[in-house]
Amino acid sequence: MTIHASYGEAFERFAAALPATERAARAAAFDTFAQRGLPDDGIERWHYTNLQPFAAQPVHLALATAAPDLSAWRLDGCDEHVWINGRALNDAAAPAPLPSLDAHAGLAGLHRAFATPGLQLTVPRDVRLDRPLHVLSVSDAREAGEMFHLAHRIRLERGAQALLIVQNIGLPGATRFSTQSLSIELAEGAQLTLVRVQDEARGTTHWLQTAADVGRDARLDVVNVDLPCETADPIPGEAAAAKASGTLIRSDWRVKLAAPGAHAELSGLFGADGRVHLDNQYEIDHAAPHGTSRQWFRGLGFGPSQAILNGRVVVQRGAQKTDSEQRIANLMLAKGAEIDAKPELEIYADDVKCAHGASCGQLDDAAVFYLRARGVPEAQARALLIYSFINDVLARVPHVALRLRLARRITARLGAGLDLSEATLSGAAA
Amino acid sequence: MSQLLQIENLHAEVAGKEILKGLDLAVNAGEVHAIMGPNGAGKSTLSKVLAGAEDYVVTAGTIRYQGRDLAALSAEQRAAHGIFMGFQYPVEIPGVSNMMFLKAALNAQRKERGEPELDAGDFLAWVRHRVKQMKMDPAMLSRGVNQGFSGGEKKRNEILQMLVLEPRLMVLDETDSGLDIDALKIVADGINAMRSPERATILVTHYQRLLDHVQPDVVHVLAAGRIVKSGGPELARELEEKGYGWLQQAA
Repeated sequence: MTIHASYGEAFERFAAALPATERAARAAAFDTFAQRGLPDDGIERWHYTNLQPFAAQPVHLALATAAPDLSAWRLDGCDEHVWINGRALNDAAAPAPLPSLDAHAGLAGLHRAFATPGLQLTVPRDVRLDRPLHVLSVSDAREAGEMFHLAHRIRLERGAQALLIVQNIGLPGATRFSTQSLSIELAEGAQLTLVRVQDEARGTTHWLQTAADVGRDARLDVVNVDLPCETADPIPGEAAAAKASGTLIRSDWRVKLAAPGAHAELSGLFGADGRVHLDNQYEIDHAAPHGTSRQWFRGLGFGPSQAILNGRVVVQRGAQKTDSEQRIANLMLAKGAEIDAKPELEIYADDVKCAHGASCGQLDDAAVFYLRARGVPEAQARALLIYSFINDVLARVPHVALRLRLARRITARLGAGLDLSEATLSGAAA
Repeated sequence: MSQLLQIENLHAEVAGKEILKGLDLAVNAGEVHAIMGPNGAGKSTLSKVLAGAEDYVVTAGTIRYQGRDLAALSAEQRAAHGIFMGFQYPVEIPGVSNMMFLKAALNAQRKERGEPELDAGDFLAWVRHRVKQMKMDPAMLSRGVNQGFSGGEKKRNEILQMLVLEPRLMVLDETDSGLDIDALKIVADGINAMRSPERATILVTHYQRLLDHVQPDVVHVLAAGRIVKSGGPELARELEEKGYGWLQQAA
């Protein structure tokens, strides 16, 4: 296990600034990382994504930078919470419990060793947050190998409700390595909608783990928008380094339906192009009876690239009357695109309903002709049909302005100049 | 009367199989032509060839539209120059609202013709008026194109698109199939509203009943890839009574 000495040096510096009471737990976490290293592709769950090379590369703690102009990402009507390189801009940096993560012991150890507190949210009993929370985690790397690790914790008490938008923004610059965790706990009857928008810069290696515990009759809705970064090329001089390392985004989603009647709905839109590698691993664990889960995924193969989607559903012994459904559809748009989509079912109960299906296809020629016969040029016709394909997931984004922004971003990527407005968005009026 | 469409000795195939085998047809501006015929005669192939579907290959003959060779124009250019095909099976496009679709189509056509695009307000007024004309619920504009529409609603939507786009040559492929009596009347009213000295309509149909509401000037019988008989409206009634058997034998 080769771990570059710079990790240890960075930890010495990081630990020195911690309160004495925290140091032991952090040092133990770092030891786990040092022993186990980062996951390699010999582990089944990491078959397509090998992080081990990053352990051998020099890193250093991300530097503090001035707050950038965030107007392009700001959303009206939201309560905004900003982190820049893992440092809170307007939240109290109160010490927070370390997250427990199970994707990989070494990776979790790295995250726990260096984690800085992200959003620490508790919504009291029967309170509904009137305004959505908008978390912006900005990465602004000036020197190659900057890293930061951010841990969010969200707890909704009995009957509470909230809408949370988590957006990861990468400003163009040097190569970087970041991890992020979202620990979510929903008490009885609580309802959380979580929208995650991945907007990292090129040359980023990022790992996200979401671990959610859904209580009795509680409900979690997730919309994960994981698309290639659209930011410009990295700054000159760093371009070669960034291109060599490419962009790698790995996300693990673990949702446990922990008590009877819990409901989870996960939807994801993902697509990769060029040197972007996206890997999403979802797991819903039905640990109690009468749980329901739904998963809707849409994948786009834009160009020579690899995107991975693994959707696992586990039904534990005793989780009778589980009702679960998973649908994966992929659209291949260019030569050389690769999508590895895999549904996985593991069922230990006998009175359950579990449906799943996966498809891979291309645009329907009859539909392209229908649009062209109305005068819509071919490129625009294809863009409209791609929009139609992704809208099933996009329409689940409850914030209309954000939905419109995402729709514009995706269609702009297709280069066909669709005219999108709130009035023309389907379902916007409903 | 000026000639809008002239087809001479048209041969066309799809997937290597010849469907049209020497078809001749001339349509003047201001006229409504009905093309009737048995299944498999080539009626839908003719519509698709006129609209520019790429999987239908013209192997011989010419199609002239407004004096120019149609072969040189793509499907979208044909639309911009005024050819409208009403689909027998309109496609569903979930998530793309009718509004988004109509706006994209109309503005693309205007752009191709070198006309300014319509702004949102003018466009909305333009469309709303026609939605009312087709006795449709304006809420349909924010629904997906043909998404969850019944067969009749889809056909009505085809005619709405025709009213919005104001084409010069309308080729309606079995637009009457799947319609109940009320919807048939609304669709017929839409077609009649577009009749003018500058425009022409080709109604491709299997049945006489649409022709009770839209009076054709000329009726043609298409069998085995060619026009085998042409006549006035009385020919349609004759076909309704006798069927196509006697003509196929003649062909």
